[in-house]
Amino acid sequence: MSTTAVLHAEWIKIKSLRGTLLPLLAVFGATLAVTVLAFATVGRAEADNADAEPVFDAFYALNFGQIAALGFGTTAVSSEYVTGALRISLAAVPRRGLFYAAKTAVVGAAALLVGLATSFAAFLAGQAFLGEHAIGLGHPGALRACVGGGLYLALMALLATGLTTLLRSGVAVLSLLIPFLLIVSFVVGDVAGGAAQFLPDRAGQQILHEDPAGALGAWQGLAVTAAWTAAALLAGWWALRRRDA
Amino acid sequence: MTSIDVHHLTKEYGTRRAVDDLTFGVAPGRVTGFLGPNGAGKSTTLRLVLGLDRPTSGTATVGGRPYAAYAEPLRQVGALLDAQAAHGSRTARDHLRALAVSNRIASRRVDEVLEEAGLTAVAHKRIKTFSLGMRQRLGIAAALLGDPAVVLLDEPSNGLDPEGIIWIRALMRGLAREGRTVLVSSHLMNETATFADHLVVLGRGRLLADTSMRDFIAAHSTRRVRARTSDPARLRTALARAGHTLEDAGDGRWTVEGARAEDIGALAAHEGVPLLELADEEASLEEAYLALTAEAAEFSAPGTAAAPAEPPVPASTHRPEA
Repeated sequence: MSTTAVLHAEWIKIKSLRGTLLPLLAVFGATLAVTVLAFATVGRAEADNADAEPVFDAFYALNFGQIAALGFGTTAVSSEYVTGALRISLAAVPRRGLFYAAKTAVVGAAALLVGLATSFAAFLAGQAFLGEHAIGLGHPGALRACVGGGLYLALMALLATGLTTLLRSGVAVLSLLIPFLLIVSFVVGDVAGGAAQFLPDRAGQQILHEDPAGALGAWQGLAVTAAWTAAALLAGWWALRRRDA
Repeated sequence: MTSIDVHHLTKEYGTRRAVDDLTFGVAPGRVTGFLGPNGAGKSTTLRLVLGLDRPTSGTATVGGRPYAAYAEPLRQVGALLDAQAAHGSRTARDHLRALAVSNRIASRRVDEVLEEAGLTAVAHKRIKTFSLGMRQRLGIAAALLGDPAVVLLDEPSNGLDPEGIIWIRALMRGLAREGRTVLVSSHLMNETATFADHLVVLGRGRLLADTSMRDFIAAHSTRRVRARTSDPARLRTALARAGHTLEDAGDGRWTVEGARAEDIGALAAHEGVPLLELADEEASLEEAYLALTAEAAEFSAPGTAAAPAEPPVPASTHRPEA
């Protein structure tokens, strides 16, 4: 089969579903909105704090964007399972490896593009409110954080894609991942050093720091997140290949 | 020559055997009705043919190759499995367009099949606003998208209005006339009788019959004569002497089971009994089907389903000894 044709078909499927397209746009929209809101109100006060970390603080709103990224990665796959549309899809593209690779590639590419636009836009928009506290892309670690932030969002979307293929339910994945990210990692992560820093979100967010503390460096942390994502995608592939549709 | 060949196909779900050593072929140029009670394994067989489910053993091929071996399968095989499967939030046109693009089918085909299925006016409406009949039409449009040589339809007349049923009937007959292979599952006998040339009948996952419609009805029905007479009492006595029973069919009509019109006519003439009407009654597909599946119908609990089904009952045992 033609790989380009299957990629194109997967893109049409994503773009023709409001439920999938909206979370993708929300990655950008929510991150930017929260950034503007936060920086316009408390931006200067926060930047004035003694423990302020100008690069990392610039990506505060990414916490919201990543929820949307998970939503995008989830709905792109769960739309195949809610009604049994997977059978129609696999009847059209019976080579399951090709089908899965194409879907993953389109989700990954879309999330990466939107993710990069989001992290750069959030960084620049936030700084615009900071006056004398503002830093530029030339600040140490700033450019790395912008690129890394985009990669991080794409990896989170793909993590959800893999898990949704494995569990065949968007509800299951979102009710697993969102509390996990918001509560377990957000709350417990700050307290515990040790193992918590290897959780997918904690590890990946190392790249947002100017000078990452802990066991993992900036790119090492992102690599750990990539490993989580790869594991989820492989588990999804194993399930899709094995199961009756 | 694109036929469907199912060879010793078996599919087990846990301990339940949904399809049990099934072997049959579906030839091009005619409409083959795929019959059987609920749970007989029709839909499972179709999924196995399409490579969606993996067989426990045996093979299913289309044109000699497994479905998944086709580079662009929609150009070879069109299938409607479940009209409700298409995602409700997509428009009909986007749904078809994604399918067409994946198999490099020209986008004008999308508009053509929408037109053919009578959906042009709602092409840009979301599928969730469609009635079951419209979804069914959309599923049929999707099956026709690649102008395929083989068409598989699972219960296509579900939810269709009378015009829709006439449309799908003409469509299937037309596809067969063009030399395509058409396999249509149904549980509606009278409906199937209007379009099928050939029948494949399943019961408990096993093949009960693979024969032409005409032969099937002949083999699985009793002969019956319908008569009207002005003197039923004398006719009854005359028939009783010849070993026949006259049964009251109500409304002044009488029937004789296991007899032919020429026998009864001769007998009545010999006895001088006036007959007002005399005709052989054609058994319907429904009657023939029910006679065949009466004992094979799956009422058993899961787990016992793997028990051997009753073999087809030879037609002769249905006939009273003349």
